[in-house]
Amino acid sequence: MKVLVPVKQVARLGEDLVLEGPGPPQAEGWELNEWDAFSLEAAVKLAEGPPGGEVLVVTVGPERAEEALLACLARGADRAARIWDPVLEGADPLAVAAVLAALAATEEPEVILCGAQSSDAANAATGVALAGLLDLARVAVVDAIECNGDRLTVHRELEGARAEVLRVALPALLTVQTQINEPRRATLREIKQARAKPLVTLGLSELGLDPAGVLAAAGSRTVALAEPERGEGARMLEGSPGEIAARIAELMRADAGAL
Amino acid sequence: MARDPRHDVLFEPVRIGPRTMRNRFYQSPHCTSFGAELPGAQAHIRGMKAEGGWAAVNTEFCSVHPSSDSRPLVSARLWDEDDARNLAAMADLAHEHGAIAGVELWHGGCVAGNLETRLPARSVSQMNDDSLYSTSCYELDKAGIREIQGYYVAAARRARAVGFDIVNVHASECGSIMQHFLMAKYNRRTDEYGGSLENRARFWLETIEQVREAVGEDCAITARLCVDTLNDDPRGIRAPEEAYQFIQLADHLVDFWDLQAGGWVAAEWAGDDAVASRFAGEFSHREYIAAVRPATRKPIAAVGRFTNPDTMAEAIRSGVIDIIAAARPSIADPFLPKKIEEGRYDEIRECIGCNICASRFAQGAPIVCTQNATLGEEFRRGWHPERFTSASNAEKTVLVVGAGPAGMECAMVLGRRGMSAVHLVDEQDALGGSLRAISSYPHLGEWGRVTSYRRVQLDKLANVEVILGTRLDAEAVLTYGAEIVVVASGARWRADGMNGPTQSTIPGAEHDFVHTPEQVSAANGAIDGDHVLVYDTDGYFTAVGMAEMLLAAGKRVTVLTPYANFATFMFFTGEAFRVNRELRAQGVEIVPLHLLGEITPEGLRAQSVWAPDPVHWEADAVVLVTQREPRDALYHELRADPDRLTQEGIEAVYRIGDCLAPRTIAENIFDGHRLAREIDTPDPETPLPYLRELPDANRERSLQESIPGGPPAMRT
Repeated sequence: MKVLVPVKQVARLGEDLVLEGPGPPQAEGWELNEWDAFSLEAAVKLAEGPPGGEVLVVTVGPERAEEALLACLARGADRAARIWDPVLEGADPLAVAAVLAALAATEEPEVILCGAQSSDAANAATGVALAGLLDLARVAVVDAIECNGDRLTVHRELEGARAEVLRVALPALLTVQTQINEPRRATLREIKQARAKPLVTLGLSELGLDPAGVLAAAGSRTVALAEPERGEGARMLEGSPGEIAARIAELMRADAGAL
Repeated sequence: MARDPRHDVLFEPVRIGPRTMRNRFYQSPHCTSFGAELPGAQAHIRGMKAEGGWAAVNTEFCSVHPSSDSRPLVSARLWDEDDARNLAAMADLAHEHGAIAGVELWHGGCVAGNLETRLPARSVSQMNDDSLYSTSCYELDKAGIREIQGYYVAAARRARAVGFDIVNVHASECGSIMQHFLMAKYNRRTDEYGGSLENRARFWLETIEQVREAVGEDCAITARLCVDTLNDDPRGIRAPEEAYQFIQLADHLVDFWDLQAGGWVAAEWAGDDAVASRFAGEFSHREYIAAVRPATRKPIAAVGRFTNPDTMAEAIRSGVIDIIAAARPSIADPFLPKKIEEGRYDEIRECIGCNICASRFAQGAPIVCTQNATLGEEFRRGWHPERFTSASNAEKTVLVVGAGPAGMECAMVLGRRGMSAVHLVDEQDALGGSLRAISSYPHLGEWGRVTSYRRVQLDKLANVEVILGTRLDAEAVLTYGAEIVVVASGARWRADGMNGPTQSTIPGAEHDFVHTPEQVSAANGAIDGDHVLVYDTDGYFTAVGMAEMLLAAGKRVTVLTPYANFATFMFFTGEAFRVNRELRAQGVEIVPLHLLGEITPEGLRAQSVWAPDPVHWEADAVVLVTQREPRDALYHELRADPDRLTQEGIEAVYRIGDCLAPRTIAENIFDGHRLAREIDTPDPETPLPYLRELPDANRERSLQESIPGGPPAMRT
């Protein structure tokens, strides 16, 4: 079974982000999007099961994003591809999906596993857009996958502690939720060996695309990014915990009167 | 991250007489056991704090004369120009970093055993002192009083001559002749130096006045005063009464006040000064300082184991104090002021209040810190708490197995030294190792700061990966792909009762009703049986934790120990008196001086260390707190096959912390730190030698030859 796993490199949590112009925030450190660690693990598990298979990870990103691909190769992916063109800087989910669709068309995977969302933009759109472009069966926010020959049985967690069980014919695209598995951690040896695995860099033309087409595919464009304005009127309460608690109680009583 | 504007107040300069503190951070006098004999160590431990942003740094208690010799405890000394010259290095280094330096002048009177100088002790009244050795003394006559005051003046002049900026006349912690004059408990004089409060204060006031006249134009004058003796002895000092009046009487003589409450040495209040975290949190003596606040408009410095800038800023803004005095927080993090100033709050290494620092002084040994492995190593090993050199073998990858104190520290320092990749792997699903259980013992929650500080720092290191919930066996380690392997797999408590006093196991330890500390803490004290006997040959906090945990679970608890006291090591940390008092008050039966001989379902056979006759005890369950043994099987398995190591590309396998030898948390953290600091030496397993500050035998010989017949006269 050939599984394609689109992944994204995101700013490392806890780092100070720098906003400059409409481009994506600049961060000191980067890491693999949290959800993508789970989709990768699900993919590696599918490929490890009978009858065996191959996991291809792909990212749309600049050179630094190869670090995220290497992390995936260390954790069991077999090959990796990075697609980039300056026009993709700050691309929206539809534009990214268009690029991924072009790669998927050449690779013809049986399963595409996406993270349910990215931790930075949190659009939760790239996966479903990709399914739409490829006209694939798709199931979103999956938290369990079972493989039965040429079909997958998948679970979705719904609100109110309900679950939905679906049987999906292949090829299909699933977006994966974080409770699906416990992603493996790479050993130092696996990290070193990852550098020897195939990692290709592709431009738009190699996928039969051009910048104008990608721009046309986009549904939105970022005009500006800004820090929220700091609110005013907050009062800091000071004193011992007891004094602060008493003051809060006093304020609440006063507010209750107002309400 | 920028500094919170609420903390700006901490960085306002404070004028103290002829000197100015650049901010409100004052490293209050604290012991190091470096004294004037280890001038390099003394200079650099204080100098590091000056570099870290403290506006003022102080010596420990500094003896003014050979008639006040604290051996085997180590004070600083200003007996002569040689002492002063040695302490000068400290003042110089403080100045280099923009801080000012102070000396805390001390004469112990009857507290001083004078074991070195062999001079008879003199004090306010003829008495025996209970502080250290029940030393006796004779009562000072008026000429003697003048002499002692002369010692203070001479010492102050020596301090000024070598550049000290603050002279502190110590009358606190119940361990000073000054305080003994002040307190009716000790002062039984009938002349003008005894009786009324004004008379009791006279010696102190005259001394401060003389010191001020001698050096007050150049040096800020302060008096470290105990404002409350924290007991109900009517002859003690109460903040709103005696202390208030003392402060009013001396207010015109000082430039600022250095105030504290409680004492350290005398049995009845031991440990109430530098209170351990098991008893109190930040600024626990606030009420005593607040009570004397209206007595003075001079700046007040007071300690409170401050680690939280919010508490500090509130203490200043509320007006209770003007200067943040700190000993232990400056020990755990010499860079505390700088980190607050620069808004680097998540880098603050908070004191955990374990008092291992004080325990070293009490044992006559150099100071150490659980949180700060570099403490005391600034000079002799050249370690800087915030700066790390890039390792010359930084291209290597390292696997650290075990994320307890030693493993966390080692991985953190290796990360800071730029190793290409460090993996810290632990079988548990959280960091901390043995500390996870220990910090869940009653009253030891603050000890969890050891883990939380390291968790935050490890998370920031891009080259360090923490992998939890993963148990690695030898094969997994061998094929992990690391060039350097560090085994930090900890220790376990012996279940068979093997113990130091008898060097034997205890028959019957295999019964189901006999438990290890790990089993008790896993059950949170809720083991089977109503009456539990804790047998302690360890002597430190574990048996206390067991007793408290069992009490909290509703058990009746008996503690048996072969030592003369329960929790005997805690006399060094200042916790023992209160622990023993409080456990007894909660109904724990404590049976000292008994060895546990045998455990049977019918009962326990014990034996007094003085008499051979067996004593019978009954209990439903037994907890053995006897000794720990290393969990070192993985280490030995790895080292057993050098060829396989070579074949897998592993160049070295080390073991650190409890896995090497079970010790205190402070020593484990030091061990992990030390290995990481020296990971690129030719033989990292063997610590590099440190600089020793030894007297020079040639100089000593020439000194002796210079004496025309007979021993040297005591210099005054």
